[in-house]
Amino acid sequence: MTVLAIGLIVFGLFFLIVGSIGMLRLPNVFVRAHALSLTDSLGAVLVLAGLAVYQGLSMNFLKIMVVLILVYLLNPVISHATIRAAHRSGLRTSEGKTE
Amino acid sequence: MRIMGAILLFAFWLLLSDSFDPARVGAGAFFAGLVMWLQPARKTSTHKFSWLAALGYLPWLTGRILKSGLHVSRLILDPKLPISPRLIHHHTELDGDGELVVLGNSITLTPGTITVEVAPGELVVHAIDEASSVDLREGVLDAKIGRMFSRGAGT
Repeated sequence: MTVLAIGLIVFGLFFLIVGSIGMLRLPNVFVRAHALSLTDSLGAVLVLAGLAVYQGLSMNFLKIMVVLILVYLLNPVISHATIRAAHRSGLRTSEGKTE
Repeated sequence: MRIMGAILLFAFWLLLSDSFDPARVGAGAFFAGLVMWLQPARKTSTHKFSWLAALGYLPWLTGRILKSGLHVSRLILDPKLPISPRLIHHHTELDGDGELVVLGNSITLTPGTITVEVAPGELVVHAIDEASSVDLREGVLDAKIGRMFSRGAGT
């Protein structure tokens, strides 16, 4: 069980790191949001799932599950609101090649 | 509907409070009831929601997120950074509020695609490259979500 938990957490950390690298490398706000969704929907979720497995069935397990569900429901809404605001305020989405 | 909501809120309270002495439990029951009583009536949806289909949808979505997550990771770690961002106008048959929420959320959850604007029948989606937008263009998501919300007889 511990091995599975460690595996999940390490896998999640991989996505968190890649998301951070993406944040630095990618050129503009729209593309950077994709790196953000990588950390949200895979990094954070896998780390939380790893913690839940490590915890075993208990009250804390249920609480982690609540956090997981909220992350799944709310993070896309936040990304969407940010990106929509950027789009409406007229930021260029840079079709085609970007530098 | 309200009783169901109150029971759900109460269960949530119990989950978070972590103690079962009568005063806390009583307060939880009271406030769960109060919140549901104060809440204005909502108009009921005309679409029937199938929990069974939703249960099948979640693992599928998770697999998809994992697949495109690895794809986006490869794009980011590639020294050449081979991204080709684009805006896609996605037409959809779905028009209910619930359906659009699930569709928009699923698109944003999936790495590589983000919902920019939502309107009944049309979504504007930003995709990081060609491959990320393929699933969307084929309408796999729409079909799955459409199965989740069958059009039933409602008000």
